[in-house]
Amino acid sequence: MTKWETVIGLEVHVQLRTRTKMFCADQTTFGDPPNTNLCPVCLGLPGALPVPNAEAIRLATLGALALGCTVHEKSVFARKNYFYPDLPKGYQISQFDRPLATGGSVSFDSSERGRVRVGITRLHVEEDAGKLVHDRFPGKTAVDLNRAGIPLAEIVSEPDLRSPIEARAYLTTLRQILVYAGVSDCSMEQGSLRVDANISIRLAGESRLGTKTEVKNMNSFANVERALEAERARQVALVETGQRVEQVTLLFNAVTGQVKPTRSKEESHDYRYFPDPDLPPLVLSPTWIAEQRTGLPELPDAKRARLETEYALPVYDARVITSEAELAQYFEAVVDAGADPKIAANWVMADVMTTFNDRGNFPVSPVKLAGLIGLVREGTLSLQAAKRVYAELAQAPDQDPRATAERLGLIQVSDQGALAGWVDEVLTAHPAEVARYHAGETKLLSFFVGQVMKRSKGKADPKGVQPVLQERLQRMVKSAAR
Amino acid sequence: MSTVVSGAAAVATETGKRLAAAEGLNATLSWSQDLLDAEATRVDSMAEPGPLAGMALALKDNIVTVEQPSTCASRILEGYVSPYNATVVGRLRAAGAMIAVKANMDEFAMGSSTEHSAFGRVKHPLAPDRVPGGSSGGSAALVAAGVVPAALGSETGGSVRQPASFCGVVGVKPSYGRVSRYGLVAFGSSLDCISVFGRTVKDAAQVLSVMSGSDPLDATTVNRPPMRVPEPLQNLRGLTVGVPREYFPPDLHAGVAAALRATIARVRELGGEIRELSLPNSSYAVPTYYIIAPAEAAANLARYDGVRYGPRRIGPEGDIRSLYRATRGQGFGQEVQRRILIGTYVLSAGYYDAYYKKAQQVRSLIAQDFRRAFESGIDLLLTPTTPTPAFKAGEKTDDPVAMYLADIFVCSVNLAGLPAVSIPAGRSEGLPIGAQLIAPAFEEERLLAAAAALERVIPAAAEVR
Amino acid sequence: MSIGRDEVLHVAKLAELAVRDEDLARLVGQLNRIVDYVAQLNEVPTDRMAEPFLPGPPAVTLREDVPGADALARSPAELAPEFKDGFFLVPRHGAMEDQ
Repeated sequence: MTKWETVIGLEVHVQLRTRTKMFCADQTTFGDPPNTNLCPVCLGLPGALPVPNAEAIRLATLGALALGCTVHEKSVFARKNYFYPDLPKGYQISQFDRPLATGGSVSFDSSERGRVRVGITRLHVEEDAGKLVHDRFPGKTAVDLNRAGIPLAEIVSEPDLRSPIEARAYLTTLRQILVYAGVSDCSMEQGSLRVDANISIRLAGESRLGTKTEVKNMNSFANVERALEAERARQVALVETGQRVEQVTLLFNAVTGQVKPTRSKEESHDYRYFPDPDLPPLVLSPTWIAEQRTGLPELPDAKRARLETEYALPVYDARVITSEAELAQYFEAVVDAGADPKIAANWVMADVMTTFNDRGNFPVSPVKLAGLIGLVREGTLSLQAAKRVYAELAQAPDQDPRATAERLGLIQVSDQGALAGWVDEVLTAHPAEVARYHAGETKLLSFFVGQVMKRSKGKADPKGVQPVLQERLQRMVKSAAR
Repeated sequence: MSTVVSGAAAVATETGKRLAAAEGLNATLSWSQDLLDAEATRVDSMAEPGPLAGMALALKDNIVTVEQPSTCASRILEGYVSPYNATVVGRLRAAGAMIAVKANMDEFAMGSSTEHSAFGRVKHPLAPDRVPGGSSGGSAALVAAGVVPAALGSETGGSVRQPASFCGVVGVKPSYGRVSRYGLVAFGSSLDCISVFGRTVKDAAQVLSVMSGSDPLDATTVNRPPMRVPEPLQNLRGLTVGVPREYFPPDLHAGVAAALRATIARVRELGGEIRELSLPNSSYAVPTYYIIAPAEAAANLARYDGVRYGPRRIGPEGDIRSLYRATRGQGFGQEVQRRILIGTYVLSAGYYDAYYKKAQQVRSLIAQDFRRAFESGIDLLLTPTTPTPAFKAGEKTDDPVAMYLADIFVCSVNLAGLPAVSIPAGRSEGLPIGAQLIAPAFEEERLLAAAAALERVIPAAAEVR
Repeated sequence: MSIGRDEVLHVAKLAELAVRDEDLARLVGQLNRIVDYVAQLNEVPTDRMAEPFLPGPPAVTLREDVPGADALARSPAELAPEFKDGFFLVPRHGAMEDQ
C-alpha cells in the first residue's frame, strides 16, 4: 500500500579527528586499555574544569561549512544534566539554544525522487560519554571512561527523508563529505559515527506529521535501512489495525532484524539545559571563518564534476572514483605520473579499489602503477600479466614493476621471429582448423591466438600475434592457390 | 651557606603546638605535624626564599591537595584524597608557603555559620557559643585564634568576608577570574572565588598576589598580569568613597551602625570624600543569589554518585539507581540536599524562564548598579560587612531563609564579580564588626591600598559606641 | 507559587536524592519557604533585551590540540569504591543493557 508517506529525520554523531579530548589534553587513541587515558577533568573529579580544544572547534567549523551551514560567530556551551554511569560529571557539556552552526543541506540522487535535498537543522559540538560493558562481570556493569570527553559533532537533519533507502543514501553522502573535509573518520565499526533515527508515517498528501518514534542501536548503514524498514512496517501495521503509534524509543536487533521498545519506561528526560558557567562564549571572527572556508578541500560533488571534465571520464567512473577521497587522490596521482586517465580509472575502479577495501591502504604507489600501465601500453606486458604483477607488488611494495615482471617471466615477447615460430607451430598442429578458416570461419582467428598464447605460456604479445597469424594464413592460401 | 636558624622548621613546630591547643575550636578537618615538618624542610632548602617563605597557611577543605583528604566537610567525600593539586597550591608552595592544614567549613561551602559541617560546627574563638560565620568558618577561626597568619577560604556569596567580619580578621575576595578555580571544588561556578584571610591587609594581599594570574586550566580566568601588592596609601585624599543607602537600613544593628559611623569619620579624617548613593536593585541580591547558586550547585554536585570515588552506599533494591540515591541521600547533609532540590527545581522544565533566566537578568541589573556607581566618579564603596555581629549557634538553623539573610551585604559583590575586602572596624559587646570596601573589577590594588590606610587608623578591637 | 509533595518527589528523582518519608513534610515546607522568598524577583521589570550577566572573560580561550593532561598522583583503581580488571564497577540495571 503506498498511501502511507514515511518521514525520517536522522541525528548523527561523529567523532572529530583530534589528538586530544574536547575539554582536556588526554589522548583520544582508540583501543587503549580501559581507564588509562584519564585526567581530573574527564574523570569528573572534584575541582576539575573544562578547557575547549581549538582543533575540535576548527574541524567542527569545517564540517559545518562543508555541509553548507551558517557558522555562528557566537555560540554557547550548555550543560545537559542527567545521571548515567558513563557520564562522569552527571552532565554532558554540549550546546543547546546557541549551537555552532545551523541551516545547511546534503543532496543526493534518489531513484524514486530524483535529486533529493535534505536540510541540516544544526551542527553543534559536545563531548562523548564513556563506554559501558554489561556482560563481563556477573551482576555488574563495567565502566571505561577512555572515551569520556572525546570531541563529537552532532548533526541533525530536517525530517526531509522519505524512505529507508534515502536515509542510507543521506548517510553515505554525509559521510563522504565529512571524510573529504577531513573532519572525522566516520567509521561505524570503530564507533566514530553513530546514528539515531526519528521516523513517522502519515497519509500521502497530509501535511501534519504523525507521531514519531526513535530508533537506536544500528551499527551500519545497511542496518539503518533494515531497522527503518522494520519500524515503518510496524507503524503501518499498527495504524491499519486501528491502533495509535506511541512515542517510544526502539532498539534494532541486527540478528532478528526487528525493532523492540526499550525496557526502561521512564518519562522523557528533563535535561535542564543551562549555559555552562565554566565556559565563556565561543566567539569566532568572520575572518577566521572565511579562512576555514577557503581552506576547505575540494568536496565530492566538485571533484566529481572536475574529473569528468578534466579527464573526460564517464559519469559512472567519476562517481566510483570519488566515492572515497583517498581513492580520488590516488587516481589523480597516477595520472600525474603519466598514465592515461581512462586506463588509470579502470585500474583504480578494479584492482586498486579492491585492495583499498580489503586493507584500507594503497600498497602500490601511484608512480609504480603508472609505470605498470606504461609497460602494458608499450607492449612489454599483457594486461593480464600486469594484474599479476600488481598483485605481487601489493604484497611486496618495495619491488620494481619491471623487475617483478621479469622475475615472474611475464615479459611479453614481441620479437617477430619468436612470434612467427609459435605461429608456425600452432598452424602446423591444427590443419583442420586452418582448413576451416580458409573455408570462411574467420572467427577461428581468436582460437589460433589463444593457442599461440598457450604455447608461449602467455608470453606472446597478443597484439603482435594477430598480424603475424593473419600474414601466415594469407601466405598459406597463396601457396595453396598456386 | 646561611647561618640563619631554619626559620620554617621553627614555624612548623610552633604551628603544630597552636593547632593542638586550638583543637577545641574544631576548626580543622585534618592537619599533620609530619607534613608541616616536611613542608618546612622543603622551604628551608629552597635556593631563593619566596615572598611567603615559612608562612603556614590553612586551606579550606574544598581546595584540593594530594597529601591530605579534601572532604568539603561532607560524608560523601569522607576519606577522599585528591590525586591532583589545585593550581593555587603549586603557586603558594613555590613562594615558600607551608601547606599542611585543612580547615573545617559548611558542607560544600553552603552556609553562613559553619554549622552545616558533617564533622561538627566550628566555635568562634572569642565566644564559643557563637558561630564564626561561614562557609569558611574554620579558616577564619584559625587566623583569628593566631594559629596561622593567613588562610584560604572560598566565596560564593560572601563566605570569606562574612566570617572575617564575625571573627575580627581581614578577608579579601578578589575579582572573579583573578585566581584560578582549578582545584576548588565547585559550588556556584559563576560566583566561586578562592579568597584570603589575614591578620592584616598586607598579609592577605601577599597571599593573593602569589595566587593571582590566569591559568590555562581554568577558562574563566582573565588574561591580566598578577596582582601586585600595593603600598598602603598615606591618606585618602582625592578618593571618593560611596556609601549606598540600601546598605544602611534604619534598623541596622546599633553596634554595626556605630562602627560604620566611626569608619566613615576615619575616611573623612584621611581626606577622603564621602558620597551617598543608591544601588536600587540591592534588595534583590539575596533572592537572585539563591536561585543562581543552587542551580549551578545542583549540576556541580551531580558528579557525587559513588561510581568513581568517595564512599559508596547501595540501597535495598541493589541496582544503579539505588546506588545513586543511597550514596547521595545519605552522603549529603540537609542544607546541601535542600539547595540541590531548589537548584534542580529552578532549572526544570517549565520553571527555567521564571526563575533561572530571570535571576540572570536581575543579576545584570545588580552589576549595572555597581558599574554606574563607579562610572559616576566613585572610587570605592563602603558598607557594613554583616547586618549583625556573630550570632549564637542554633539561632538560625531552623529557618533557611533567616540564614540566607546573613549574606545581605556581601552577596551582591559575588553576583557582580567585584573585588572586596572586610576589615575589622571595632567590637560590639566584645564581638567583632567588619567594614567592607568594594572596588571596580580588577582594581584590587586600589582597594587594598585604601584598606591598608584605613586599617592603620581604626582601632580594630576597640568597643564602639 | 507553591511546590506540592509530588513535585518535590519528582525533583528529588531528577536529582537522584532519596527523601525519607519522615523528612518529606518538613522538606516541602522549607522548600516552599525558599521558593516563595526568591519569587519576589517576579516584581522586577527586566527589559526584554537584558543580557544575562556572567563575569569572567567575554570569549573562551581555546587550548591547542597537544597531549599533556594534568597527571594523576593516584590511579583510578586507588580512587574507586569498586574496580576490577581496569574497569569501574557499578550494580547492573536491566534497562541500561539496551543502550
